[in-house]
Amino acid sequence: MRRLSAMLTILLAVAWTTAGPALAQSKEPVKIGLSAAVSGGSAASGEAIKRGLLIAIDEINAKGGVLGGRKLELVVRDDEGNPQKGVTIARELVEREKVAAVFGGLHTTVALAQVPVWHELKTPYMGAWAAGTNVTRNGQTPNYVFRVSANDDYVDRYLSRYAVDALKKGKPGLLLENTPWGQSNETGLTKWFGEKGIKAVGVERFNWNDPDMSPQLLRLKNAGADLIVLVANAPEGAQVLRSKAKLGWDTAMISHWGISGGRFAELTGDLSDGVVFLQTYTFFGKQNERGQYVLKVLREKYAVKEPGDVIAPVGTANAYDGMHLVALAIDQAGSTDGAKVRDALESLRAEYKGLIKTYKRPFTAEQHDALTDEDYVMVVWKGGKIVPVNMK
Amino acid sequence: MYGLVALGYHITWSTSRTMNFSQGHAVMAGAVVAYAVFVALGWPFPLALLVTLAALACFGALVERVAVRPFFLRASPAWLLATIAVGIIAENVAQLTFGKDARAFPSPLMQKPIMVGSAGFYAQELLVPVAGLLLMGLVQLFYHRTPYGKQLKAVAWNPEAAGLMGINIPRAVMASYALSAVLAGVAGVLLAPLLNVSPQMGTIIGLKAFAVAIIGGLTSAPGIVVAGLGYGLVESFTAGYISTRAREIVGFGLVILVLVARPWGLLGEKPSRRV
Repeated sequence: MRRLSAMLTILLAVAWTTAGPALAQSKEPVKIGLSAAVSGGSAASGEAIKRGLLIAIDEINAKGGVLGGRKLELVVRDDEGNPQKGVTIARELVEREKVAAVFGGLHTTVALAQVPVWHELKTPYMGAWAAGTNVTRNGQTPNYVFRVSANDDYVDRYLSRYAVDALKKGKPGLLLENTPWGQSNETGLTKWFGEKGIKAVGVERFNWNDPDMSPQLLRLKNAGADLIVLVANAPEGAQVLRSKAKLGWDTAMISHWGISGGRFAELTGDLSDGVVFLQTYTFFGKQNERGQYVLKVLREKYAVKEPGDVIAPVGTANAYDGMHLVALAIDQAGSTDGAKVRDALESLRAEYKGLIKTYKRPFTAEQHDALTDEDYVMVVWKGGKIVPVNMK
Repeated sequence: MYGLVALGYHITWSTSRTMNFSQGHAVMAGAVVAYAVFVALGWPFPLALLVTLAALACFGALVERVAVRPFFLRASPAWLLATIAVGIIAENVAQLTFGKDARAFPSPLMQKPIMVGSAGFYAQELLVPVAGLLLMGLVQLFYHRTPYGKQLKAVAWNPEAAGLMGINIPRAVMASYALSAVLAGVAGVLLAPLLNVSPQMGTIIGLKAFAVAIIGGLTSAPGIVVAGLGYGLVESFTAGYISTRAREIVGFGLVILVLVARPWGLLGEKPSRRV
């Protein structure tokens, strides 16, 4: 009797171990990675991206997931905005967690450092924030890096057009962070202002954590700038505003979107009022079906009362649309194999009516940015909240 | 402001020939503790300041007890690494409890800039050097006019003789560490509204203050005060007239120049023996 039960146990165990993987394989979740700063001065950006991904994932899972019934599952890693950490995380996500695709966060420096890793490990990457031009235009073939976010080159065209056509300014002074992201924008702004026959009266840079930007602002002021074009993240952007108030210089200022990512409003108080910057999406105004749905979930799950409460809105919007596109690509590829999903992204057949716009074949072999300056909007800080600018 | 933090290096160096390399982190600790008590708990500022200073005195004493004394007694230079280690631990504890975000530290002196002609400044920026100089004056008074200060000075002068005269040397060393941490903490509270509060805020300040201490001469308090002001001026002139990107290059280049010309610092005493 005892021997029989022992044999049965062994048999059962054998049956379990052999049947287990086969069963698990069909219903095993498809993991999606996120490498973003979820701590530090830019933590709000990471949190916003996470929200966008989770809202889309819940929506997709409720409809049965991908690949005929496999659920999506998010794996979040904090890269702290540190490129070395970003590379370690990229490898860990692919090699240990076996993710099918990875979403990226706010820092261009991190995104650039990770590019070779995606290429080497043949894993598609979907940028949800970092806007550096050469993140997507990276010279790799085949290119594993995609983006549903801004691209500095388009941003700079948009900003220069706004400065000249809407604000009628002709003497821009550039104030950029001393990083690859700042560099990327110096190139773009010089190029696009140049197209309009305008040369910046000054180009000034600052380092991360610099406390005082007065010298740079003073040089721009003395050079006769009638507009500051700012490329900065929240902590440094805040110091720029403080120094600007100190100089008593009330010139107009337009900004890339870095200042929407952190605790900018808390750090600046009412100094931030009137600073105009760009977004890929705003939850203000009339919302399409997706917009209403996302706002509803944000209200229910994240205590968002009104559109102005949505933290770092672009992160959520970009990530939400990006996640849907990746899910469509996985289904089209019929597999989670990195190379196949990559090919599917480049030749996406399904039309996706998204939050930011309707995507018809968003990516091609040459175009890895789903959004261009056609899709951007201008917004302004007002009383610690982001509100839209009425622009013709 | 570098001067105030740098003075901390001088104080412990002169009593014990050791230094607290976590001075920069003590600056951070000052700002973080003040933020926690004043902003998060909403206590009145004088009380919050008192709590902060007491906490920093404990921090200094703790550094001495765990990271310096065990090695000091064995004449081992391992205190160097041990104090750095304490600083890194402090930074990580701050990250865990305070979070990594930079937070705004409200100050009535930061509300509106004071305008002079076309340019202006924040009252807080004026307060920093004024309070710094005032405190340095107080420290000098403490050393020269109070019995306890004189004891500390005696230890600095000649530890053996001071010990024979009945001065408790370990306690004097601990007191000097507490004092140096308190000075750094005050610096942290003063700087918080300008720099915002974050666990990483102290590292570079600590390093620059050390540079200032070396330039001024570790053994000379006046030298350090002069070097602190000078270093700050060189930094802002470099930023203003050359480029912000050249600031660190010029600043630390200067340190090397001074070290080549006067290894014992601008106003430091030429050591009669190697230490």
